[in-house]
Amino acid sequence: MNATDIQIAICGSAGDGTIAAGDILRNAVAAAGYRVICFDVYPPEIRGFGKCISRLRITTEQSYSLKRQSDVLISLDDSHAIPHAGEVRDNGAVIFESQPISPCAEGEHMSAHVLPGQIPYGFPIREMAQKATGGARSRNLVVLGFIAGLLGLAPTSFQKIIEKKFAKQGANVTAKNYAGFKAGYDAGAATFKLDDATFGPLAKSGDSGKVVMLSGNAAVVQGCMDAELNTFFGYPITPATTIMERLASEMPKRGRRLLQTEDEISAIAATIGAGFAGSRSATATSGPGLALMAEMLGLATITETPCVIFVSQRGGPSTGMPTKTEQSDLNAALYGSPGDSQRIVIAPTNVEGCYRCAGKAFEMAERYQTPVIVLLDLYLSNRYETVTLTASGPPFVLDANKPLRRMEPGEAYQRYALTADGVSPRAVPGDVGCMHVITGLEHNELGRPNDSAEMHTAMSNKRHDKLQAALEHPDFTVTKRFGAQGRVKVGILAWGSTFGECLEAMFMAQAEGISCAAMKVVMLSPFPTKAISAFMDDCDAVLVPEVNYEGQFAQLVQGTLARPVVRLSRVPSSPMPVELILGEIRRLAGVAAASAAS
Amino acid sequence: MNASVSSSTSRRYVIIGNGVAGNQAAELLRDRDPDSRITILTNSRLLYYNRYLLPQLFKGEQSWQAFLANPAEHYVKRRIQVRRDSRVVSVDTRNKLIKLAHNETIGYDSLLVATGGVSHLPEELADCRKMFHSFGSYEAAMATRKALPEKGTVVLLGGDMIGLDLARTLLAVECRVILVTHESTFWPHKLTAEERADALATLEKMGIELIDGEARGGVVSVQQGASGLPARRVVFRQGGDLYGDVVMSFYGLTPLVEFMVGTGIDIERGLLVNTNLRTSDPSIYAAGDVCQIWSEQENIYRFYYGYQNVRAMGAVAAINMTGGHEHFATTQEETLGRDSQGFIDSPFWSYQ
Repeated sequence: MNATDIQIAICGSAGDGTIAAGDILRNAVAAAGYRVICFDVYPPEIRGFGKCISRLRITTEQSYSLKRQSDVLISLDDSHAIPHAGEVRDNGAVIFESQPISPCAEGEHMSAHVLPGQIPYGFPIREMAQKATGGARSRNLVVLGFIAGLLGLAPTSFQKIIEKKFAKQGANVTAKNYAGFKAGYDAGAATFKLDDATFGPLAKSGDSGKVVMLSGNAAVVQGCMDAELNTFFGYPITPATTIMERLASEMPKRGRRLLQTEDEISAIAATIGAGFAGSRSATATSGPGLALMAEMLGLATITETPCVIFVSQRGGPSTGMPTKTEQSDLNAALYGSPGDSQRIVIAPTNVEGCYRCAGKAFEMAERYQTPVIVLLDLYLSNRYETVTLTASGPPFVLDANKPLRRMEPGEAYQRYALTADGVSPRAVPGDVGCMHVITGLEHNELGRPNDSAEMHTAMSNKRHDKLQAALEHPDFTVTKRFGAQGRVKVGILAWGSTFGECLEAMFMAQAEGISCAAMKVVMLSPFPTKAISAFMDDCDAVLVPEVNYEGQFAQLVQGTLARPVVRLSRVPSSPMPVELILGEIRRLAGVAAASAAS
Repeated sequence: MNASVSSSTSRRYVIIGNGVAGNQAAELLRDRDPDSRITILTNSRLLYYNRYLLPQLFKGEQSWQAFLANPAEHYVKRRIQVRRDSRVVSVDTRNKLIKLAHNETIGYDSLLVATGGVSHLPEELADCRKMFHSFGSYEAAMATRKALPEKGTVVLLGGDMIGLDLARTLLAVECRVILVTHESTFWPHKLTAEERADALATLEKMGIELIDGEARGGVVSVQQGASGLPARRVVFRQGGDLYGDVVMSFYGLTPLVEFMVGTGIDIERGLLVNTNLRTSDPSIYAAGDVCQIWSEQENIYRFYYGYQNVRAMGAVAAINMTGGHEHFATTQEETLGRDSQGFIDSPFWSYQ
């Protein structure tokens, strides 16, 4: 059986329906049973400006990243799509408008840029949309229909998705949009297929759970809801905004509360307050918002208040590049507060991981009485993947608090009792006999201000040591090794969304006969010293790819373990290209081989 | 063929047509003017493939890649831009601009028209065009192949040398071939009555079933076959009919010159050129099945068909476009001969 592995890129101008087309396509193929990973790139401007690209990789088994080369490129606007013509592989398809309404100078039409190895498919998209629907707005549906017809996808799953998408706009709008799709479908089916992008038959699903299509942010929301997030406070900021938007829709349905605050400082303050009151609470932001939250995060650390902060990174510093992905807030997440403000920082590597990390973050926040930062990035927040949710229900503990012993009459409740595991029984306001002082000042076990060296040392130890248990948090993947076991020439150590690209690169390198392995690091703080050390012991060279300029994770590894790594730090305003990682693996494998020979 | 290489630099050559003539010209233009820009414009979605080899589709080879004359890298290496899916709608000879169907305009310094021809269909059959199976392109030939069952029946109307070449292949794969003769049978060979009768007898010996189309008043329509019968029905003017799985017309070629109408360039049926293949516009040349070349011997403008002629025209045009002074040889062997088995053979069937 030929496995399906097709990447389709749809490129247009904001307002062309590019992202909407990608949305329909990914949902339709997922409904048909294929696995999808999809990432949309869009401009910071609103409609009428800027380039939008929706890239989808459709596979039989779940893939880990997008491919550098697409199999099909659809142009809804040649001025934007032309620079991407070279991204299509040989014998791949380039689909474009054959009858643009405006005259164009030489070289301004896509046909001028189709490379000799690619297959051009020009067809009258606008004219077909007008004939089918009376207007040109459904050009995106026409091209969707065209590729469905060309690639032999059944129209039924598209019809259902289109009906669902336009249901609120009435039967007439729905019918027109489907008419546009059908016109394109018929044209595609009647077109002689010359490209070799084909959909293979689907394997029988071995998944026992429910397969859903989620973006990273949607998965975070699902995780929050399944973990029974009770209160959320937030202030909109790209690329985290959709977390709050979705929660605003979902939480009231279950009697939970969400408040949009006046800024990020209020959001984190309210989140900590709710956590103090015993509620599962969270906020979501991006780099600039995290900077504003820094001081209050220290309060959560010193008061040992559970709270969860979702941080979706984007290009920085300052306002930076709101719609471009980056992994440059690692240092801010790890260290961005005054004092020794220990906290847990976890970073999922894929959409399913977003779901799990979101739910587990609440467990950890409660169990270790600490702020937990879940570090996402724009690439992960906005990318869509098919995710299998377990049939047995949410895999989260809904109350991870340490049991609170009933106070004896006259007994003073020690909110910060120095215990063996560093975690003190936590009372919430209203617990009988547990009245105590809470303050941002250093304190003693009762919570009362105390700045003695002994107490500060004891409390610092407590706040640090209790987190170490998180490295063995139940049912949570702190690190995971992939690829070859035992000694390898090249080991790839990666975190966050870049791990998917690393895994693809590793598989490609293995196919070339290079001995290599990859380790994903989900928990960044506390640092999983033992696991990473063991991995590095097995590797002749360790490569650390990450999308930031300074190599922040590489610095963390080197600083903690005092061992060398090879940095691959780039800021391409896009995910790390697989080929770049593969090139480094090849180089290192060559270097390692040469060293061994000498 | 050894004319001096033009000293022009960054000259823009545009070739309309992606067949044998156009590509032969492009290769020579590149050799003779290394710094030039060369652009081939074509309706086709495929790179250059030799259409004369399409009958091989029926022998089993079906991949379009197998028909390509060059790999894709060749065009990159040779810096020959092939603009596919780009139909020319008009040429502005005054401003040296070409307008494409998708509203793009491109300029040229020197233009070669090498669009070839399409299968001619008599006017009375024009309404049945959709009923015919085509053979003019890889895509059309594949569709025809798909429509033809194993050992199926093919009806050839007309029977020009392109059709008879295909007939040879169809017989080899055990298809039943029925030829409905017409005055264009054996076109472009011009045969005496005696030669024709002899050639027709040879076709029968080869295994082709002959039906005297002229005696039946010609074909008046081609229709969908009735249920339970082959897919097509051929109806004769004087009554009677004939069934086949595939019906194809081979009545000669019509040159593709519509986009040149109105340019002021001399056109009869094709573009009129002298033996140097230049049209009445000094910056425009023509080669292949699209042009009629002045023949001193016959004192007419006439077409020269077949792979060898078309290829030679491409070369002559390229040489002259780059400052050479080459002439197309209008005196040549055009006799319909016999091969070692006694079957008909034609110089138009030489594809090397």
